[in-house]
Amino acid sequence: MKQDAFSRCHPAVSFLFFILVMLLGVLIQHPAFVAAGVCAALAYYLLLTGTKGLKLLLFSLPLLIAVAVLNPLMNRTGRTVLFTVFSIPYTLESLIYGTVLSGIFLLMILWCGCYGAVMTSDKFTSLFANLIPALSLLLVMVLRMIPNFMRKGRQITGARMAIGKSVAGDAKYTEKAKNGMLLLGSLTDWALEGSIVTADSMRSRGYGTKKRTSFLQYRFTLRDGILMFMTLFLGAGVVFSMLRGDTAAAFTPLWDVAPLSPFGLGCYLLLLLLPTFLHLKEALTWHILRSGI
Amino acid sequence: MAHFEIRDLSFSHATARGKACLSHVDLTVEKGEYIVLCGRSGSGKTTLLRHLKSVLAPGGKKSGTVLFNGMPLEEVPPFEQAAKIGFVMQNPDDQIVTDKVWHELAFGLESLGVAPNAMRARVAEMACYFGIQDWFHRDVETLSGGQKQLLNLASIMAMQPEVLILDEPTSQLDPIAASDFLNTVRKINIELGTTVILSEHRLEDIFPYADRAIVMEQGRIIADDTPGNIGAKLWAQKSDMFAAMPAPVRVFYGAHCEGTSPLTVRDGRTWLSRSFPQGASIPSLPDTPAPAASEPPALSLREVWFRYEKDSADILRGVHAEIPTGCIYAIVGGNGAGKSTLLKAIAGIAKPYRGKVSLFGKPNKGAKLFKGTLAMLPQDPKSLFAAKTVREELLEMCTDEEKIAAAAQSCDILSVMDSHPYDLSGGEQQRAALAKVLLTEPKLLLLDEPTKGIDGFFKEKLAETLKKLTAEGITVIMVSHDVEFCAKYADLVSMFFDGQIMTTDTPRRFFGGNSFYTTAANRMSRHVFSMAVTAEDVVALYQRNTASQEG
Repeated sequence: MKQDAFSRCHPAVSFLFFILVMLLGVLIQHPAFVAAGVCAALAYYLLLTGTKGLKLLLFSLPLLIAVAVLNPLMNRTGRTVLFTVFSIPYTLESLIYGTVLSGIFLLMILWCGCYGAVMTSDKFTSLFANLIPALSLLLVMVLRMIPNFMRKGRQITGARMAIGKSVAGDAKYTEKAKNGMLLLGSLTDWALEGSIVTADSMRSRGYGTKKRTSFLQYRFTLRDGILMFMTLFLGAGVVFSMLRGDTAAAFTPLWDVAPLSPFGLGCYLLLLLLPTFLHLKEALTWHILRSGI
Repeated sequence: MAHFEIRDLSFSHATARGKACLSHVDLTVEKGEYIVLCGRSGSGKTTLLRHLKSVLAPGGKKSGTVLFNGMPLEEVPPFEQAAKIGFVMQNPDDQIVTDKVWHELAFGLESLGVAPNAMRARVAEMACYFGIQDWFHRDVETLSGGQKQLLNLASIMAMQPEVLILDEPTSQLDPIAASDFLNTVRKINIELGTTVILSEHRLEDIFPYADRAIVMEQGRIIADDTPGNIGAKLWAQKSDMFAAMPAPVRVFYGAHCEGTSPLTVRDGRTWLSRSFPQGASIPSLPDTPAPAASEPPALSLREVWFRYEKDSADILRGVHAEIPTGCIYAIVGGNGAGKSTLLKAIAGIAKPYRGKVSLFGKPNKGAKLFKGTLAMLPQDPKSLFAAKTVREELLEMCTDEEKIAAAAQSCDILSVMDSHPYDLSGGEQQRAALAKVLLTEPKLLLLDEPTKGIDGFFKEKLAETLKKLTAEGITVIMVSHDVEFCAKYADLVSMFFDGQIMTTDTPRRFFGGNSFYTTAANRMSRHVFSMAVTAEDVVALYQRNTASQEG
């Protein structure tokens, strides 16, 4: 994995950050905020994933364009008619609205991509191990079972193929379907058998004899505290600005967007750029350290 | 005070219709002892071991007592049992509960409610002791079978148990991973003083170090002695289990010697040197000829090259072989050398990008291949089971009652036709799977690690079945780690290394020429006899030579 300063923070900090920015991202429709959000998220996303992430974005591009272009066909409340398609008035206002919507959509894709790279499954589960131990363990076991199930599935498929019971190839459709059903049955039997062993293994290791504690992978340090405070502080600033009406925006039937508030936008940008700042700060430190040698 | 004291323990399963699984077992385990429990599968080893921990004890009718540290086991609270009695099971995969290595190590401690700081220390300590620190953060799924089983052991040891019980822990591992694992167990016993009770088929690696060997048969303990003396008892009783003893023991008593047997190859060599100080006058047995080449060959591989992806490394690098019809052909080689891939290439599942594979003179193609030409028995027989009874399993393949009866007969599973496949023992499961495979009426049968996880007795049965098949003209190709099995039953053996077949010869010449990759019987006798590869060979030569010395 790529080295990233923010990824090494306590999971609670990362989790809070992502929850906050995603919520704000959905709630705020003000075009300036959306544009700033996309820029900030894109910067961090590219830092995390590099060129690999860019490819994913290119794939989602058609969808984003479709959202923007097709919105006027659904939403017909604009005033400025550009032209008519199938006797539907295609208006400028709803086109702008669609563009903003697809910006929000892109923002969510970017944040989800960052979330996936930063919040690995074990971070998530260890975060909730203390709060909801049973649910966290369940999640961990599911995460263990999925690849196990897939491996067994491949094994069975291969084994059955070598006795002429393939689910692919040029056999009759009905036969292939029947083989597929048998494969599924076989997999279920096997999984049930395995789960008995797993249950034995759990009880044998004292599951349920005492109240569970959990192995702490991550320690909450002062730095994490400061970061969390900054996240909350900047978040509060944005919310304050929202309540003041700085982010109000209506596009149809008439363009009615609140004037730009430097305070709100500043808070928002600073908040979103926190991980990027951390990343760059560390890169800079390394650069200085290295050139000092 | 004894660690475990088992007094007159009898037990029968709720479903077993009165058949006793354990009858009148008496056993005392002292603190710090290393005990090996051996016996055929189904002899009650697992049942006995499971009675040593209440949560794992099977349901059924039980009489007698089990004392743990002088206290009846039922009265020892579950919390204490969980911490003090560690239990490692057979299957490396299904025992693992969580998805990350670190979490699995901590799982037991989390359950026991150990405080976070103490837990960090213990997990760190165990990870170091077992050399896990390099894969501490990995996903469990990315580990090899040997690593998984080591993880299971480590996560039990993190709870600091007083006694470690292991139920056939290496049956699913390859020989190198298995001996690594067993060495670790031995290290735990010696360095930490943990009592070890272990059941195993593979006795070569354990016998020299165990304090006591206990042999079970039909739910009874039939012998309980030091490993050096146990062979004599079994030999005198003419027990089936004698065949499972390490090669030096089998040779020693097989040659009618008396006293304490050698246990290791080294001791066996010393004993043979002493027996024949002037060397042997008859150094080798007459060689069996290699099976004659047939026209067309059952299988011919010409310059077969294969890799999984365009940019990955070649797995098969110009494999060249011709295998005559009606023989048992064994391919041996290291782990991950590509033996299984070679089988896939033969079966047409992996498509070579260069070279030719032909079966009985015809190129292998299409789905027709699996109907009457070729079939493969997978490593894990469970991957073929899809029905509720063995009979239904066979009915899935064909509806002709007579053919089914014949296949069941030749695989010796007539008595279990109405059982659920999962209720069978490992050896029976394998024979049921084999019967299923045979119903496709293959002329060429591929076997992937056929002796994995089955005991000596069932191996012999498998060999009988295979011999029967070759007598009917079926060609058998197997890849195996089991050099003893290949030496005893194969007609031709090949060494697979570096993506190629390096050498092919009859087992005697093949193993007789190797010094490391060969059987224990050969390693202990190669300085006196040449080309004696099985314990039977060594015994025969020993007897001929002593006779000629006296005469």
